[in-house]
Amino acid sequence: MGEKITFKSFKEMPICAMSVADMTYNLTGSWRNVRPYYDFKVSPCRLGCPTMENIQRYIFLVTQERFEEAWSELMEANPMPSVTGRVCFHPCMEKCTRKDFDQSINIPAIERSIGDRGLDNPGWMKKAPATKKEKVAVVGSGPAGLSAAYYLARRGYPVTIFEAAPSLGGTLRWGIPEYRLPNDVLDRVVAQIVESGPITVKTGAALGRDVDLAKLEKEFAAVFVGVGLSRSRPLGVPGEDGRGVERGLDFLRRVNGGEPVNPGRSVAVVGGGNTAMDVARCARRSGAEVTVVYRRTMNEMPAIKDEIEEAEHEGVKFRFLAAPKSIERGASGPLTVHCQQMKLGDPDESGRRRPVPDGDASFALSVDTLFTAIGEEADDAPYAKLLERDGNLVATKGEWGETSRTKVFAGGDVATGAASVVEAVAAGRKAAERIARMLSGEPEPAVEEPRTISIENINTAYFTKGKRVLVPRVPLDEALAGYREIHTGYDDRMLRREADRCFSCGVCNFCDNCWVYCPDVAVRRLENEYEFDYDFCKGCLVCVIECPRNAISTREEGK
Amino acid sequence: MNAPKIPLPELMTSGHLACQGCGATQAMRFALKALGPRTALVLPACCWSVIDGPFPHSSLKVPILHTAFEAAASTASGLKAGLEMRGDTETVVMAWAGDGGTFDIGIQALSGAAERNEDIIYCCYDNEAYMNTGIQRSSSTPIGAWTTTTPGVHWKKRPKKKMIDIMAAHSIPYIATASVAYPNDLIEKFRKAREIKGTRFLHVFAPCPTGWKLAPELSVSMARQAVTSKVFPLVEVTDNGRTWKVWKDFEPTPVKDYIMAQGRFRHLSEEEQRFVAEGIEQNWQYLLSREAGSSFVPGLQH
Repeated sequence: MGEKITFKSFKEMPICAMSVADMTYNLTGSWRNVRPYYDFKVSPCRLGCPTMENIQRYIFLVTQERFEEAWSELMEANPMPSVTGRVCFHPCMEKCTRKDFDQSINIPAIERSIGDRGLDNPGWMKKAPATKKEKVAVVGSGPAGLSAAYYLARRGYPVTIFEAAPSLGGTLRWGIPEYRLPNDVLDRVVAQIVESGPITVKTGAALGRDVDLAKLEKEFAAVFVGVGLSRSRPLGVPGEDGRGVERGLDFLRRVNGGEPVNPGRSVAVVGGGNTAMDVARCARRSGAEVTVVYRRTMNEMPAIKDEIEEAEHEGVKFRFLAAPKSIERGASGPLTVHCQQMKLGDPDESGRRRPVPDGDASFALSVDTLFTAIGEEADDAPYAKLLERDGNLVATKGEWGETSRTKVFAGGDVATGAASVVEAVAAGRKAAERIARMLSGEPEPAVEEPRTISIENINTAYFTKGKRVLVPRVPLDEALAGYREIHTGYDDRMLRREADRCFSCGVCNFCDNCWVYCPDVAVRRLENEYEFDYDFCKGCLVCVIECPRNAISTREEGK
Repeated sequence: MNAPKIPLPELMTSGHLACQGCGATQAMRFALKALGPRTALVLPACCWSVIDGPFPHSSLKVPILHTAFEAAASTASGLKAGLEMRGDTETVVMAWAGDGGTFDIGIQALSGAAERNEDIIYCCYDNEAYMNTGIQRSSSTPIGAWTTTTPGVHWKKRPKKKMIDIMAAHSIPYIATASVAYPNDLIEKFRKAREIKGTRFLHVFAPCPTGWKLAPELSVSMARQAVTSKVFPLVEVTDNGRTWKVWKDFEPTPVKDYIMAQGRFRHLSEEEQRFVAEGIEQNWQYLLSREAGSSFVPGLQH
């Protein structure tokens, strides 16, 4: 701050009328009646993500080419970005503000790039030492189990993972084909998680067969159950059991295990979920003509939109409003699948319109193999005695995965029914956090209602309309020739270009606008932030309007 | 932190006396960032002779010579000659005048200096009326605007003077318009001007929330809309007035949005708004024809 010069006599004055001091004695902050202040909000994409990944932040770090920090930020919420970046149904993109401007940001593609960089740079993962005594058992090594194990191990709790299969990954390994999630990527993700802290792995240890839940509860300080859904739901029609009818999941398991499969020339897949799409597309890859039989229409299909589109693109046919009612077969040769024609009735509890028989209309399909993929259910035998159930799922309270037993937690599909990878990851992390708080006696974190923004809060004058950078894919004939990954991922240039599209909703990304446009030079540009100089800010609020991303709020002075 | 969008050194300090959201102060800050500390300013009567602060204080870190309303260009010419006599060829002399001191009261001296091709930069920061003395109309006030001397139904009926054409007619080496909403463009033009010898005329659009009856926070946004609605096109005239370049790489916005956001235009009826918008479109077409190299198009309404 300068000083106000007052001349007491002519002698003190300069020889002509010239300035001898600046104006900073004049604290124009007193003119202000409204004060701007930096006030970062939560970007809508983050609120759309079940794991609450700090998407804005890691995309910002990518634009700064601070990849290791971006990766660390991502791993705070999700230990397998290389997986979710490939297979997630990306609800974040639905929430993306840019969707209301041109096209939403390709968040999963960015997530995948960062995750893969983390796999390529093993030095980024600093192994956490075992700092706690309490041992935790994690049963099941799907996305929920791996996530729970990771976040417990990172906090220093020794974790033992029990997995029935010979290798870890659960549904990621057996339920998702390689063209979406290559085995070597999954292997590296699993290895990274297992290496991240004090984790012991016991494979070939199935709950109920090799391990007993009540015993685990005694031996460990806490148990997390994330065993998923292991039983395919039957169609419940005559002729279902017998030659030519196979459960879709078993087929996927054989395909993913590298076994040769030959479902024949023509194949029908019953169901409309992701498993049905995966089965159909794997069958296409073995050379079959594939028809998906679904009892509702495309609008009601629970599968990820992208997967449906990909399946169509790969030549999978769809037969909507059709439900198998019986299957006939001779000693050899194709099966005859009799189907009832359906129509849509009133909405059911899921909000989707219920399929009802359309009179007597029916038709028959002749196929070599029929795959069933109408959903999976939990095998509750291993926990039925110990835990309260909801149907045959584990009953949990709230979002933290607590069960009827204090020391037992559950998450993922076994607690929610068929859901998604990202929801399982979120459930695993939340249960891990709760377990850690239970064991350490830490208080519950205060929950604050997040404040977010929408397109109305974006100053779109600072953005140019454009298109999402698409992830390159292999040509169709190559894709169908085997199980190689279809989407090849961003190169550095694409990653940067897509990251640069992000609005950075509600959070400063150092665009300089507030500093540039301040008529009163009252914004200080510091090393890693800006600061208002309230001695001089006149409260014109130009910065508030010119902040493209609503990272500045206002409040009346004296209130 | 990223690389700064505009140069870091500040030659303007806080504490100056401009109103909230003043475009003229932004213009000065950007211009000095472009020209650097070896700059001497000549200020006729205008907002900036007040903004700068009372004797013996100044909010600028470069020397300022205050002069009479009509004398900015001639004083600047003299200052430059004086510096040259003392062997200083590096210091840039810039006359910094408002639209009144340029379009009206200072035009004689400006015309004289330009005709002699004096080695000065003349910058008119244009807030479209005599704001400092109480919002009286100038010949830069746009058609349709309220001022204290064009009140009520007597809103200004005459269009804004075509200052760029007048300056182009003087065959000076560099003429450009700029806007405080486009600081990089503005800075680039001042830097370009610094490297050219002869009279360089820069016309900077600088919103005046007080005089335009505008919320101060919309100041920059209005400056931007003035460009995107073609009210204030960004133009560069080089080659001694012969080559015109009009900036067109923007998403156009309606004139109506621009004028109706400002209290000074709010009295205009739908028909009068259309009339104003037509004039703006004609002026735009005229500029495009200048760019295309055709001669003056007669019969223009404005």
